[in-house]
Amino acid sequence: MKNRLRVLRAERNWSQADLAEKLVVSRQSVNAIETGRFDPSLPLAFKLARLFDIPIEAIFYDE
Amino acid sequence: MFPSCKKKLSPLQRRSLQMFGGNLSLIVGISVASQYFVEHGHPSKTVALCLAVLVAIPVVGIMAVVGRYLRQETDEFVRLLVTQALLWGLGLTMVVNTMMGLLTQFYPIYRLPPILNIDLFCVTAMIALRVQLWRSQS
Repeated sequence: MKNRLRVLRAERNWSQADLAEKLVVSRQSVNAIETGRFDPSLPLAFKLARLFDIPIEAIFYDE
Repeated sequence: MFPSCKKKLSPLQRRSLQMFGGNLSLIVGISVASQYFVEHGHPSKTVALCLAVLVAIPVVGIMAVVGRYLRQETDEFVRLLVTQALLWGLGLTMVVNTMMGLLTQFYPIYRLPPILNIDLFCVTAMIALRVQLWRSQS
């Protein structure tokens, strides 16, 4: 799946490390999600949605 | 071995690495000692069986450490990388054993002692994990 994580992160001026810290995951995980190499599980997707305060569908979308 | 080896490891990763290393050291130590004892001590069947069980205990320990780590690791991507690395280690170990097994049937070459399989598995899995971590850095 594709996502707007990089855009959302840039809007808040967060680095990958910053986002990783907020999600309690590694920076590699954030990088892998952003580049589409890894799709997060539902709990992590919900965590992202809560963090950015937007619906999951506003972050992730089908190709 | 674990994500960002040069940076901070989580307490779980640090503890798991220490236990993994400890068990691996035990395997090497007990294997060497057992080999020496078998060659020079000529143990009875019962003693040999006890030695075999003794050598297997840290192997079970390694599996328990890895299983415990996978159960407790909250980062799902890291969990995926470790699982893939373990599969690579298993696959490469089986490939080496298969090749050596076939070659031994035809040629009187030195065969890798079965006791070294766990070392081969651990080393190949660790290398596979490092490669995956390096690839995921980009």
